[in-house]
Amino acid sequence: MAIEIATVATTHAPGVERTRRRTVPPLVLNLLLIAGLGLMTLISLGIGAVHISPRAIFAALFWHRPLSETERLILFHLRLPRVLASGVVGSALALSGLLFQGLFRNPIADPYVIGSSGGATLGASLGITFFSQWSVFGFSATALLAFAGSAATMALVYGLARSAGKTNVVTLLLAGFAISTMFTNSSYFFELFDKTGTGNRVLASWLHGVIGIPAWPELAVGAALLVLATVAALPLMRTLNTLVLGDEYAQQLGIRVELARVAIILIGSLLTAVAVSLGGVIFFAGLIVPHVARLMMGPDHVRLLPVTALTGAIFLMLADTLARTIFAPSELPVGVLMAFVGGPFFLYLLRNMKRSYSV
Amino acid sequence: MSSLLRLNDVHFDYQGHRVLRQATFELEEGSCSALIGTNGVGKTTLLRIAAGVLRPATGHVSLRERPMETIALKEIARTVALVPQQLELPFAFTVQQVVEQGRTPYIGMLRGPGPGDRMAVDRALDLADVSSLRHRIFNELSGGERQRVKIALGLAQQPRLLLLDEPTQNLDIGRQVELIDLLHFLRDEGITILASMHDLHLVDKNFSTVLLLSPGLPLASGSPEQMLKPSILEHAFQCPPDRHPLLIERAELYRKEVR
Repeated sequence: MAIEIATVATTHAPGVERTRRRTVPPLVLNLLLIAGLGLMTLISLGIGAVHISPRAIFAALFWHRPLSETERLILFHLRLPRVLASGVVGSALALSGLLFQGLFRNPIADPYVIGSSGGATLGASLGITFFSQWSVFGFSATALLAFAGSAATMALVYGLARSAGKTNVVTLLLAGFAISTMFTNSSYFFELFDKTGTGNRVLASWLHGVIGIPAWPELAVGAALLVLATVAALPLMRTLNTLVLGDEYAQQLGIRVELARVAIILIGSLLTAVAVSLGGVIFFAGLIVPHVARLMMGPDHVRLLPVTALTGAIFLMLADTLARTIFAPSELPVGVLMAFVGGPFFLYLLRNMKRSYSV
Repeated sequence: MSSLLRLNDVHFDYQGHRVLRQATFELEEGSCSALIGTNGVGKTTLLRIAAGVLRPATGHVSLRERPMETIALKEIARTVALVPQQLELPFAFTVQQVVEQGRTPYIGMLRGPGPGDRMAVDRALDLADVSSLRHRIFNELSGGERQRVKIALGLAQQPRLLLLDEPTQNLDIGRQVELIDLLHFLRDEGITILASMHDLHLVDKNFSTVLLLSPGLPLASGSPEQMLKPSILEHAFQCPPDRHPLLIERAELYRKEVR
């Protein structure tokens, strides 16, 4: 028996004159989100152990009014890279969630559920422990191994879930979850191999999902890859809309399904790797944000792409700012915070899902 | 009359056993045919082969006198549309968004839908009489409404040949009649129709040709009068027609004729 989890419940009885729920015009929503992102950045920069007012930040940025040396140091060397990194991580997770949810036609798919982040975590742990000094063309070995791990895991999970030309969604989710858990936890073994102990600490904080303070080149590579992946995803969004009808239907409409699938998985894995190499293990962001975006914008993937990217950035900036301030001066890993926010949301989705059972 | 679709000695195997054997037939442009046979006899398989989604194990399929395997997927999709039995969507797409997907074979990867595509969608919604539902959520529609929207989705492809997989399934008799009327209307618009049907009493007067798949036998075809004979049905469906309320009348009529 194949069980297919089909739909997130929308509303109940079909009324006679029901029309589409009102959504904001795309342009207006995107402009609002861009403004929101700017505002969130200013707020995140200002809040912390040392408070810097948004006005002072503005003055420093646009009128070259000098800040005090301490303020300058905190702003540009500590907070700005971290705030930007949280934005990049948020966007990347949200976009990969959107891609996987669309591809697997399932609203509870996300990088963690599907397993791609487990693979990325394992790859990155290898990198942190053994190859932390290596880099190829400016990409750290950690980032490259994260990508390789992510893509390989996706191929494995997908291969397990596929039989006789069909993808069984329940097998996919269960296989993904098992592999994700296995790989994420196997990363702890690397602590045993670390002689010096420094990699150990990096690894430990990273496995809890701490967005550290990245070096500028690292951040630049992450941001560039995010932009690259977004641009590459753009022509695939229409294809995702068609794939919602089912693989076979999409094929009948002239879509080369296997090709589209490989492309989407590669881009999703790349985004997961960007997020994991900058922010470590952060649960649920990739799951929640696409849902919020869908509530605002409807299910059309073409329109969802920018909305999801912007919402993801705002969302994780907010989460990270909260994580480092609510228990100040102690800091909560944002991954831990997300687990507590995201867990209940995941359960809520599960409860609201219409299940269709097919024999 | 020119040939739109031709199958020549087509066989198909599924997981080691043969589901389709010696299927040979031809659909003429403008015809309206019904495909009948027991559950699992290969009706859906035959439709999928006709839509170019499945390749037959052996035999030849040609579309407008050209071998199917030499035609690009997109070009097939502009000529043939297959309306499936089931369509479940994981997200809350509106009727219009669903029907727009029918334009996929006409739209490039980077170019969005143009005015021509919008007109084709409007016309498809119009033809299937679902224009008033365009802003409704597909998953919230009734069975009859969904069936019409699925047909609109097929029509948005602007096909010459419309294949339907059990279009009257799960419809009440009122909606069944509406659906048959819609098929006739589409045939009058010049679209060739092939529908798999379980309700034999709907086949009788409404289709010009009947294709019959029987387990273990080659595909047979003929007029409804030829194919809906009790002796043939009894064999094909392993059910004496006079045991079925909808076929009793026909069985008695036939018995009188024989006598």
